[in-house]
Amino acid sequence: MLVRFWGTRGSLPVAQKAGAIQGKIAKALVAAGGHVFEDEAEAAAFAAANLDFATFGAFGGATSCVEIEGGDDAYLICDMGSGLREFGLDAFRRCAAGHARTYHFFLSHLHWDHIMGFPFFGPAFDPGATIVIHAGHADAEAGLRRQQEEISFPVPFDWLRAKISFQTHAVGEPFDAAGVTVTLIRQHHSHDSYGFHFARDGRAVIYSTDSEHKVDHMDAEAAFEAFFAGADLVICDTMYSLGDTVSLKQDWGHSSNVVAVDLCLAAGAKRLALFHHEPTYSDADIQRMHQETLRYEELVREDRPPLQVICSYDGLEVRV
Amino acid sequence: MDWQLEREGSRFVGRVKGRVDETTWEAFSQALIAAVKDAAAAGGAPLVVDLSGLDYMSSRGLRALTMARREAGEAVAISLASPNARMREILAISRYDKLFEVTG
Repeated sequence: MLVRFWGTRGSLPVAQKAGAIQGKIAKALVAAGGHVFEDEAEAAAFAAANLDFATFGAFGGATSCVEIEGGDDAYLICDMGSGLREFGLDAFRRCAAGHARTYHFFLSHLHWDHIMGFPFFGPAFDPGATIVIHAGHADAEAGLRRQQEEISFPVPFDWLRAKISFQTHAVGEPFDAAGVTVTLIRQHHSHDSYGFHFARDGRAVIYSTDSEHKVDHMDAEAAFEAFFAGADLVICDTMYSLGDTVSLKQDWGHSSNVVAVDLCLAAGAKRLALFHHEPTYSDADIQRMHQETLRYEELVREDRPPLQVICSYDGLEVRV
Repeated sequence: MDWQLEREGSRFVGRVKGRVDETTWEAFSQALIAAVKDAAAAGGAPLVVDLSGLDYMSSRGLRALTMARREAGEAVAISLASPNARMREILAISRYDKLFEVTG
């Protein structure tokens, strides 16, 4: 399976302002130290080799949307955040090259940042497309229709031309989607959220976002350790620090980098992708959080196999 | 994980040893809550959690501290003392050094 991140930001899409870009340019110039480059390619190679990701790259600002490539003749997509718009454009390109026009969506929940991309999803207007929306919520269709009512959006849901269907799934009952076995777990979040376990050919990817692990329900975490067990990649909500999740941001429905590491280590997972980044964080803030998470994993790992901790960004591809 | 609680003058000192993780947090949490109740019964004596013998504490242990803080309310002040370098880093990464007074 190939996991492709189209949107990794939490709660609200964000865009870099001029000041952030200017800061990166200034850092790059200082790092160059007067070095003269023959052309842009040589300068880019120098930057890639000498600058950190927060300077030469960017984590991006689109909200949750993750593609899992590996289904039979179909796209598999977790959530419909604002990253879905760009996925839709890329899907048109791939469909033109022969990819099947079938889309399986897996909705963690119906909060705005996780569905706001659907009205801008071009393939939904393709009469030759088939869209299957899988959810733990029985009211998924109501949630998607409501955001396209006239008071909120000019194009009503019924104008979409693709063949769209909804499937509600029970927790813990595996089902098949384009050859991939999918299982849900209920998560603590306002109006509930659901995590997804995708398995195929002995490989497993977990998508677990908008999941608060409550301080007074730590005994419930054994179920998540079992759900994550042995996974090749766990995509986890790591929006806040642990301190924030038990104080100011308690009951906001999110988790921390520290809890994600503990769950993955206990589960024997191989890789953790930090996800659903706080929208007020700069690239440097997210990079610092990643560095701290790497260090925390070292501090608590003991004699367990290492957990590889990666930080997701818009455009990241991870081969599983 | 080993825990010992002693009255030292006007305060209670709980000494935790070993490590607090997913296998030991419940015992640590029960001991902490009991210590808070003892401190409250003694008229609201401060409770110092001595970390000098602790290897490290994962998020389960940290959150046990939060549960103890909630049990204590305004009645008992809880502080952390003498963490080793490893634990000091964990407190900083988790931002628990902003939630609890850390001494020594």
